[in-house]
Amino acid sequence: MPSYALNINFERKEVIADSDTPLLWVLRDVLELTGTKYGCGQGLCGACTVLHNGNPIRSCSLTVESATKGEITTIEGISENSDHPIQMAWMEMDVPQCGYCQSGQIMSTYSLLSKNTNPSDEDINTALSGNICRCGTYGRVKKAVKLASNKMNK
Amino acid sequence: MKNTLGRRNFIKLTASASGALVIGVHFQSCVTGKTPAKNFEFLPLVTIDTEGEVTLIAKNPEIGQGVKTSLPMILAEELGADWKKVKVIQGDFNEKYDEQWAGGSYAVILNWDLMRTAGAQVRFALITVASQKLKLPAAELISKNGSVVHQASGKSIPFGDLVKEAAQIPLPDEIEFKPSDSYTIVGQPIPQVDLDKMVSGKMEYGIDIKRPGMVYATVRKNPVFDGGISEFDSTVAKAMEGVIEVLELDNKKYGGRLIGPNSPNFVNGVAVIANSTWAAFKGAEKLKVVWNNTESRKENTDEIFDRFHAQLSNTSIEREDGNFALAKREAASTLEKVYEVPFLAHATMEPMNCTVDFGDEVCEVWAPTQNPEALQEGLIKLFDLKPEQIKIHLPRAGGAFGRRYYVDYAMDAAILSKEMGKPVKLTWTREEDTKHDWYRPGSVQKLTATLDKDGMVTGWQHILANASRKTSLGREGRPAGTEIDEYEFPAGFVPNLQFEYGHVLSDVPLGQWRAVAPGANAFPIQSFLDEMAFKNNMDPIDYFLKFIGPARMVPVVGEYEFDNARFIQVIEKVRKNSDWDTSLPEGQGRGFAARKMSGSFIAEVVTVDVLENNKVNILKVDVVVDCGIVVNPSGAKAQVEGAILEGFCAALYGEITFKDGATEQSNFHNYRWMRMNETPEIHIEFIKNDLPPRGLGEPPLPPAIPALTNAIFAATGKRIRKLPIVSNFDT
Repeated sequence: MPSYALNINFERKEVIADSDTPLLWVLRDVLELTGTKYGCGQGLCGACTVLHNGNPIRSCSLTVESATKGEITTIEGISENSDHPIQMAWMEMDVPQCGYCQSGQIMSTYSLLSKNTNPSDEDINTALSGNICRCGTYGRVKKAVKLASNKMNK
Repeated sequence: MKNTLGRRNFIKLTASASGALVIGVHFQSCVTGKTPAKNFEFLPLVTIDTEGEVTLIAKNPEIGQGVKTSLPMILAEELGADWKKVKVIQGDFNEKYDEQWAGGSYAVILNWDLMRTAGAQVRFALITVASQKLKLPAAELISKNGSVVHQASGKSIPFGDLVKEAAQIPLPDEIEFKPSDSYTIVGQPIPQVDLDKMVSGKMEYGIDIKRPGMVYATVRKNPVFDGGISEFDSTVAKAMEGVIEVLELDNKKYGGRLIGPNSPNFVNGVAVIANSTWAAFKGAEKLKVVWNNTESRKENTDEIFDRFHAQLSNTSIEREDGNFALAKREAASTLEKVYEVPFLAHATMEPMNCTVDFGDEVCEVWAPTQNPEALQEGLIKLFDLKPEQIKIHLPRAGGAFGRRYYVDYAMDAAILSKEMGKPVKLTWTREEDTKHDWYRPGSVQKLTATLDKDGMVTGWQHILANASRKTSLGREGRPAGTEIDEYEFPAGFVPNLQFEYGHVLSDVPLGQWRAVAPGANAFPIQSFLDEMAFKNNMDPIDYFLKFIGPARMVPVVGEYEFDNARFIQVIEKVRKNSDWDTSLPEGQGRGFAARKMSGSFIAEVVTVDVLENNKVNILKVDVVVDCGIVVNPSGAKAQVEGAILEGFCAALYGEITFKDGATEQSNFHNYRWMRMNETPEIHIEFIKNDLPPRGLGEPPLPPAIPALTNAIFAATGKRIRKLPIVSNFDT
């Protein structure tokens, strides 16, 4: 199997994997970055969202080969101690229920707020409607996005 | 409030080697109220170390319902702990914990007295020691923020300095609980335990488990219900890089379709074991399997519903009050309507998975499950193990909603680990998860009301026909049991009432789904009452209030009564909160529904805007809840929000269909859930009272569905009698 050099969370990682292996499974099974979740495998639910050069992508639908071009950021890479303003806002709003989709919700938010420091409801809907939450935390996610944007603008 | 359970029955204090105070509980006797047999075992529930750190075991599975936070809060409240110094650890399965499952919105109901008693008994011991040390009367001491405090003098001793002696204090037979107006933890919006892990990807779910030497597996099951395998060719799969082994999973070798009376066994299929999840997934795709479906009925949805309709006239009577037939003959008019609800899947965000290390001595399992008791039962039955050879860990589950009440996926994993002689993590694909669910049964429901000259109900007949969860796969239960219960609304409210059940047999695997029977039945019942209101040119809430009558205790069945004053209160409040009596612009409408479930009273008003293209835009929801004392307002609101949205998802889109004996849906593109942009604002009010807390995970779901369809009627004049709502519109 070929070897690939990935730039993940500002670290270079060498992995051996089949060329068509989705980044998701390299993250989870090889690199043990299990914060990125498997939900659908078809790019339909957003649970596996990571950033690729700052853009939110579904890591189940990006091959490891394609992932070599550019920087990957996962939920583990946004802070050392769960203290990024987005994470702080998430905790303040007590957002998660089962919590399984939340890494994806947070990564979509991370990308949104890096490009739009003061998103409207519509902007938030557009950025996050690809992330399914079965528990129904959408209302709190939306409030947490706004709170995070306030925190980051201070 | 005195507690009547003697402490000798079930609580014991001991000192650990390090001097920590260990509070052991004998759970069975606590729940049953019976004195335990000799040599019974106390399981640790709480420890308080000499630094004053309180460690609590959360015994029930955490599936997103917040039980890992709410139950410890109750204990910490009675104890007078400092919540900041409380650590909560998920307990493994232990059959001696008793009632260690998640379902029926029961966790708080079942544990309210236990948690308070344990907390109060420890408080007693700590105060007794403090009283001796301070030479002050115990009656003048209170426990607060992790210390025993003498308020008059300001003297205090932290718990950590009291624990060594506390183990020696004899506990009283009866104990006073704190008055609820002195609560400082219960009633506060406490953020969940594990929040920091959930927002940083560090929370370990079942699917994240990794064990030394572990291999990865997935399954391909026969898509046709009850099908078997004729033959399979694994040559291509086995030749693939990373694939280690291909194994058949044949339930006939393991006791057939059922583990226990209410516990289905695994579905036949073929498993691929590999050195990564992806290699297993790819290998499973390359399997060539010839399925054996000669014994399948090869059912289709239309044909199943035809049988349901036909069975409406071939029923058993499940409840009969007064004389419905006479009421019908004497009625000024009658109303009769037929409603349909579809089959539903659970689609938990975390697909079914389980990790098993089937060693020679011990079978160790990491299972996201609601039902570890059934898992243990299954392992005992399938592998002839003794209970002490089984160790079950309960990682947080990525949603459950009733799906993880069944343990079929864990049986798959156990077989594979045993065969491989290694730890195996089994992960189902989303497609397998969708196609091999234990579906919420669809049903056809015919409602008939007899009305007097004022349009009020004198007689009520509810006929429900479907395939029953209780008899699915040959289970032996009373068929109507989970479909139309004898306490179904409006039993007790109507003098001449008849519930009938038409039993249909089907191969479709059936199971519990959040809110069980009320989740399916509130839609017909509350739509029907809405129809009656409009037939009488009455406001739906006015009509409903007239229908349920004055404040009183309504006898429903046996000792089960219905406090109508509490019901009326939530309804009147939601009327006010929703501005029900004001007018709305053209195209908008409000719908109302109310329901009691799991001891909680819920009233909801949904406001919708139906756009020209028949797109239903839910503008807002007003909900009023009386669930007694609200243990954790943040978690409680989350449950209300989640249950309402789940009701809306089901109402708008939820539908599983079958073709030739197999499920047609496979993933989120054809089994759709609501997205953020479709989510309305939800305004929640909790009634403040002093009554014992009741269930909340399910009760807000059932009324959400008819409140939505009634709102669509108010907005458009279109009456929805068949779910999902999208099937009623051409778009």
